[in-house]
Amino acid sequence: MASTVFRSFQVNSFLLYPVSLLGRKNGAMYCTMKSAQSQTATQEKQSSQAKVSPSSTQSKKLNKIAENFETVIGIETHVQLSTLTKAFCGCPYNYGSPPNTSVCPICMGLPGALPVLNSKVIEFAVKLGLALNCKLSFNSKFDRKQYFYPDLPKGYQISQFDVPIAAGGFIDVDLPLEYGGGHRKFGITRVHMEEDAGKLLHAENGSYSQVDLNRAGVPLLEIVSEPDMRNGIEAAEYAAELQRLVRYLGVSNGNMQEGSLRCDVNVSVRPIGQSWFGTKVEIKNLNSFSSMSRAIDFEISRQVQLHSQGQQDQIVQETRLWEEGAQRTVTMRKKEGLSDYRYFPEPDLPAVILSKDYVDDICNSLPELPEIKRRRYENMGLSMQDVLFLANDKNIADFFDATIAKGADVKLAANWIMGDIAAFMKNEKMTVNETKLTPEELSELIASIKGGVISGKIGKEILFELLAKGGTVKGLIKEKDLIQVTDPAEIEKMVDQVLAENPKQLEQYRGGRTKLQGFFAGQVMKLSKGKANPGLLNKILLEKLKPTS
Amino acid sequence: MGSRVVLLKGVSCSSAMCNSFLSNSKRGFNYFGFPRVTVHHNKVRSCSSTKTLSSLPPPDVTRLAETARIALTSNEVEEFAPKIQQVIDWFGQLQGVDLESIEPSIRADTENNNVRDDVPETFDDRGTMVASIPSYEEPFIKVPKVLNTE
Repeated sequence: MASTVFRSFQVNSFLLYPVSLLGRKNGAMYCTMKSAQSQTATQEKQSSQAKVSPSSTQSKKLNKIAENFETVIGIETHVQLSTLTKAFCGCPYNYGSPPNTSVCPICMGLPGALPVLNSKVIEFAVKLGLALNCKLSFNSKFDRKQYFYPDLPKGYQISQFDVPIAAGGFIDVDLPLEYGGGHRKFGITRVHMEEDAGKLLHAENGSYSQVDLNRAGVPLLEIVSEPDMRNGIEAAEYAAELQRLVRYLGVSNGNMQEGSLRCDVNVSVRPIGQSWFGTKVEIKNLNSFSSMSRAIDFEISRQVQLHSQGQQDQIVQETRLWEEGAQRTVTMRKKEGLSDYRYFPEPDLPAVILSKDYVDDICNSLPELPEIKRRRYENMGLSMQDVLFLANDKNIADFFDATIAKGADVKLAANWIMGDIAAFMKNEKMTVNETKLTPEELSELIASIKGGVISGKIGKEILFELLAKGGTVKGLIKEKDLIQVTDPAEIEKMVDQVLAENPKQLEQYRGGRTKLQGFFAGQVMKLSKGKANPGLLNKILLEKLKPTS
Repeated sequence: MGSRVVLLKGVSCSSAMCNSFLSNSKRGFNYFGFPRVTVHHNKVRSCSSTKTLSSLPPPDVTRLAETARIALTSNEVEEFAPKIQQVIDWFGQLQGVDLESIEPSIRADTENNNVRDDVPETFDDRGTMVASIPSYEEPFIKVPKVLNTE
């Protein structure tokens, strides 16, 4: 009785007002959020669409019984924006600064301090909203989400509740080939702006906790997906695509280890044919894509197992923690009813109003996004493996684009980048921009090999020189006297010399050991210091190896 | 920008947190004070309020205090109950206002987007601010160990 009283009090005075906003003229917003936990709402919608696809999980742990179950996964992602300052105050934010050095009365929640919104936060939210194919809310606002915790100095988080800045979008994903490949489209429920909380450290033995408020007030975008994912691989690829997207857009560094990209995953399982959804479990502490994928597959098999043993009542709504060491999820806390956040419109901030011109400008300035890039590369005739590799990293994609813009052969450029250049970067722990190689020189190198000026082998040597020390292809060829020997007479001379020096092998060859051709070719190449044209060399060599009759 | 910030010396961060419910509710109601309702169009309000004050049940002050992490004595509960009831009644009154033909305004002032540029500005009186934290142990703010109960 008592709590009902409070609820009706709240609904009538606080919620009624904002809810009525949904019918506004701006039209785009028909988001029916009931709470911050959106999966319930979106799952209901999902069931009416009866979009059922059999769970096709890769994990070997999930054996035959899994085929009788369907998994539903929804993801909430927090992306920390790479603005120079916090969302509502001018404090600079740098990851790893000494604790409590980047603070002011606003982000410490002192009385009387008033927030002023950083314009970059709106810009980044609009960018991401557009990139996620969302409808934008031209007239949105901030709300207060009340909760009590020492990492939140104001006692409330400034967030967006019933009118998020963007909603109703989707994201295109290409699954990795090693997991079978395939294209997926996942729905985006909403994107909203909010502020981050501080960091709380619990002393191991002590009875106190330590608070660092450097992160308090740092701008975040929360992205809520539709419950469209069906297994760990799909969920991990969704997150990887979000990371690609925010990096392409330059709105965040997307670094999971530093917590700039944080994913909370909701997983539920139900027998195929069952109309209602299974109990959903939230998984936290996922700080890499692979742990995300493994945690989900573990959770699916845990829930399927309970179902198949008739113990589905042991699946309770709770938050579980992924333990990387033990490779399992464990109970962190059980949910006792919905949290009561007592949202209301933030009185200290004006509405967020977007003009059409403002949105159009941002729309026109968007870079080519990963999905468009992948489709373009595909149309160039590149294999899916090449496409996924090149488009994965914006720096590499830009380097590749610049190389082919200089006229380089598309497939050859892809091969060089994915082969020797990628290997060099991995060994030296460098990004492509940190190497000394320029797209112009890679293009020149490819042309020089294709045109027969140098051999492929020499090309490789030059490449490592270019990567490590820089310089030009032409300069290196000249400096090291590396021009390919294409004069048949000269090559013939070398072949003769090699054959004369290896009479024993020649005899064996003519006796039937034709594999020795490779040995002779190698010797001639060595003699020419790698400069002999391989085609000519082999042709002449074969002629000379023929039995003298 | 800086002039908008009023630093009240001596008011610590944690006490601000503890008081947040009472101060918020007081302030909240003021701000809520139904912001000048502006008439935009002749559109019919899609969600109208029909409840009247007479139907609002009394507040559960004990639960309210719990939500705000405030310990109240039974005397205080008795003292606050009628005051909060007054506020609720006042909302009840507001709910009685006929808003059929009025489109809701998202915010009171929507004329100028009051935003700032993304330019770092270091607060120059951090020392005073940190000095007023009741339990500070360089470089952290020390708080009782709390585990999330939400």
